[in-house]
Amino acid sequence: MGERLGVGIGWRSEIDLTVERLPGVDFVEVVAENLHHDHLPESLRILRERGLPVLPHAVSLSLGGADPVDPARVEHLAAVAQLLDAPLASDHICFVRAGGLDSGHLMPVPRTRDALDVLTANVRTTQAGLGVPLALENIAALLEWPDAELTEAQFLTELVERTDCLLLIDVANMWANARNLGQDPVDLLDGLPLERVAYVHVAGGVEIDGVYHDTHAHPVPREVLDLLAELCARTEPPGVLLERDDRYPADAVLADELAAIRAVVRA
Amino acid sequence: MSDTARDRLADKQAELLRALLAGGPAPAGFDQRALDVEATALLAKRRRVVAQIAPEAAGDLGDRFVPLFDEYARAHPRRDGSRAREDAAAFGEWLVARGETAAPRRRWWRFGR
Repeated sequence: MGERLGVGIGWRSEIDLTVERLPGVDFVEVVAENLHHDHLPESLRILRERGLPVLPHAVSLSLGGADPVDPARVEHLAAVAQLLDAPLASDHICFVRAGGLDSGHLMPVPRTRDALDVLTANVRTTQAGLGVPLALENIAALLEWPDAELTEAQFLTELVERTDCLLLIDVANMWANARNLGQDPVDLLDGLPLERVAYVHVAGGVEIDGVYHDTHAHPVPREVLDLLAELCARTEPPGVLLERDDRYPADAVLADELAAIRAVVRA
Repeated sequence: MSDTARDRLADKQAELLRALLAGGPAPAGFDQRALDVEATALLAKRRRVVAQIAPEAAGDLGDRFVPLFDEYARAHPRRDGSRAREDAAAFGEWLVARGETAAPRRRWWRFGR
């Protein structure tokens, strides 16, 4: 479903020239909060002129938070999507603010009926103001809420059914959760409405004291590519994107990681 | 959706963030080790962001950066609506107020990226 995207990489200002010259980049993604609503960095303008899709990816809507969505944040994402002429925009299934505090990172929501009701309402509000389809990403969680009323697959499936949202499947997050929380990532894949996948995230991480951290600052583990292969055996994702946010390696290393992703997608 | 669903969720989420960010008690039913790992990860992310915005601060403080930042961060959890740049600036002011660094002629935290 959706537009063919191919293989891509997360655009970051620190690697803007790298992204411009890397071979085999069919599309990029940019953190929406890092952009102005009315003008683009030169590098993104160049990529747009080449015809590359540039997809805005938000991190601050806190769609799974108890508070109603902040209209200004939705307006910003909508403005950026329009500026980029993007076919879709995305954020995460998570919350980042509660009780007057800001976690500074993506926190998991409890898999309860209450949380699903609130998330659904927030997603619908966002969709109404966005102007392009909204894709929602599964996050990596280091902790699990007690008293879950739904499995992860049930939760995501109901969310899709209720809101008609797209899915941005992060196989690295899925694999991290499998490692850290004792879940089976292949079971989860089998329970998801994969026909709703807009694109896929792949990233690296590192194990510290027996806990896997999805850092986006280390090489992509073989097991994450294996999980991507499992997904590709079940559906043909419109796009697969590498996320690298820190400790940037040589261009050739990123090129190799993109080539490894392409090899999995083509297999 | 009922407002009570939002209210119940708000209470749970606020309790979790207080525990992770502001030294609040552990919410019932969570694995203590997982809470510790998450709290440590959130603190490390916040520290990394400030170090990226104000590399001079991390450089000037050397080995003292991590313990000082962590002490500051635990006493000043980030408020809803605050920005990372404001966090870096507040850390800079805190260092000066504590006498950890002399007030610089040029305030590095005003010149971050």
